Amino acid sequence: MTGHQPDMAIAIRNLSVGYASVSGEAFFSRSNLSFSARKGEMVALIGPNGIGKSTLLRTLGGFQKPLAGEVSYYGEPLPGFSPGKRARTLSFVSTESLQVPNMRVAELVAYGRFPYTNWLGKTSAADRRLVLEAIEKVGLGGFANRQVTRLSDGERQRALIARALAQDTPVILLDEPTAFLDVNTKYEIFHLLHQLARQNGKTILLSTHDLNIALREMDKFWILLEDEALEGAPEDAVLNGWLDRLFSSGHIGFDNSAGEFFFRKKQAGTVAVEGEGVTQLWTVRALERRGYSLNQAENADLRITIETDDQQVTTWLLTTGSHQQRFDSLYDLLIRI
Amino acid sequence: MSQSLRFASLIFLLGILFLLDILLGSVTISAESVLRALFSPASADETIRTIIFQFRIPKALTAVLAGVALSISGLQMQTVFRNPLAGPDVLGISAGASLGVALFALGFSSFFSFGILSFAGAWPLALVAWLGAFLVMLLVLYVSTRVNDIMTILILGILFTSATGAIVSILQYFSSEAMLKAFIVWTMGSLGSVTSGQLTVMATAVIFGTFLSFLKIKALNAFLLGETVARSLGVNVTRSRLGVFFSASLLAGTITAFCGPIGFIGIAVPHLARVMFRASNHLVLLPAVLLLGANVMLFSDIVSQLPGMQTTLPINSVTALIGIPVVVWMIVRNKKFVSV
Repeated sequence: MTGHQPDMAIAIRNLSVGYASVSGEAFFSRSNLSFSARKGEMVALIGPNGIGKSTLLRTLGGFQKPLAGEVSYYGEPLPGFSPGKRARTLSFVSTESLQVPNMRVAELVAYGRFPYTNWLGKTSAADRRLVLEAIEKVGLGGFANRQVTRLSDGERQRALIARALAQDTPVILLDEPTAFLDVNTKYEIFHLLHQLARQNGKTILLSTHDLNIALREMDKFWILLEDEALEGAPEDAVLNGWLDRLFSSGHIGFDNSAGEFFFRKKQAGTVAVEGEGVTQLWTVRALERRGYSLNQAENADLRITIETDDQQVTTWLLTTGSHQQRFDSLYDLLIRI
Repeated sequence: MSQSLRFASLIFLLGILFLLDILLGSVTISAESVLRALFSPASADETIRTIIFQFRIPKALTAVLAGVALSISGLQMQTVFRNPLAGPDVLGISAGASLGVALFALGFSSFFSFGILSFAGAWPLALVAWLGAFLVMLLVLYVSTRVNDIMTILILGILFTSATGAIVSILQYFSSEAMLKAFIVWTMGSLGSVTSGQLTVMATAVIFGTFLSFLKIKALNAFLLGETVARSLGVNVTRSRLGVFFSASLLAGTITAFCGPIGFIGIAVPHLARVMFRASNHLVLLPAVLLLGANVMLFSDIVSQLPGMQTTLPINSVTALIGIPVVVWMIVRNKKFVSV
């Protein structure tokens, strides 16, 4: 594919990123990266730590020069952007700490209007309206006069996203926006970004380690591996077994049918489980956690029978060879085996 | 209290302190005589007129300039380094200026056997101080891009200040007694020894440096959010940083050249301004720091004169005694200062 592709919000071709040493030799680099994102798509950049996600994001943000290849936004190559134009095309939410005393949420969000204001940074009435709109959109209505230092981690991340929104750029780049957040807040932030992409047509690119959430919320994955760069829908990544390759140690894998990551344990033995429904499912999970693998054959090391009496009380009957024992809870059962 | 009311009261206070600084001194002159000398010089006593116009007014003006320059320089450094403990003295910028002056005054004058501090023009003296300050600033910048740790940079400032002391000690071996004395007096800091020629140079440099700092208001605001975000907002970080450094070293260097190293104004005043104005925007902070700095320095000068007594204290000691409690209070209050 050649020529202009205005519907491609972000296009990267044969890009090499990294740091060149004084002698001109690259001492950290990733080369031959080709990725793309369409307008309004929400893309997750994933890969193991230290693989170059931040470096790629910094290069896409124009904060460091690519070593080779090209980056273009809406068909226009990035090197041709003036700082002002760049600031009106893409906004960046970084992982830098933000503990500025005496700064209110509205002031922080007003930074988004920076590329549009005069040399003193005076905001117009229209600017202030956009700022308040952005604060509303991220769900911080009523927080406009709150000190930034008093915000919780999740609220602060929302405020930073509002700042990026106020910058009114078609593309938003976020470096690990959900790191250091609790699970609830992680979901909220992903949901918020999802809405912004859907309702406002923003193209959102973020790096993340929260694969479980990313699998459900993102339109596309850009996967950086040691020797390869892959892209596709999250489901493509699952079906092609790309996610398995994220974990070089081999201890962790992705269970395609369960849609979950699992940890490969040392085999403790085999177990046969007799029972039904949810109880059976979670019993198997508990046993798998202990390293047992399911084997419904006669020769399994352990045999567990789930029994429910007339009063709906569930008990687990453990059979080892000729020995039998009954347990009231999975906890008690696991202590014994 | 609204921001404009705060500004108005600072301006009012500045007028009062300026008058007080002129009224009070080691020679007791009645308020009436001072006012007469000020407003109808012809009818005033010759001696009093000389004291007022040759000594007290230049000294008060020097205090205002020094307060403005050191405070703005401190604010700029705290913002650029995102470090509430930064300041011209802490980072070794004043030491850099001192080293410039010391090399110039003790080193060169030993070769050419004339006392630079007293005879050389005001411009060369200022120039070496600016150069010293700017070089240290660049060194600190270089280290801060390599080492992303506030404490390391502060320790570097302390090391640099010690190194300056060492070099000065070595220079002292090769200096004549008279030059040495002049230099030691200079290191104690003084607002009173500034000549009218030096005052002109000082005023020019301080006004220019202050003007530059106001041009960089937007960039300074952007720096509060960190380098990456500043860049993403379209700020040319390298150029803005150099501009701010130029302004800061011009301001701090000028005062160090003519008044000697005056500590703790640059670090303490920006904090007082933040507490008083509850602002982070430099559009408010910069004028606030300017006015507060002038006020604090005039106040220090009044205290150092020990009104009613014959002796004067070194201005250095007074600013340290006023500034250090502010810094300690700031550290205690802001326990998380390392992450700022």
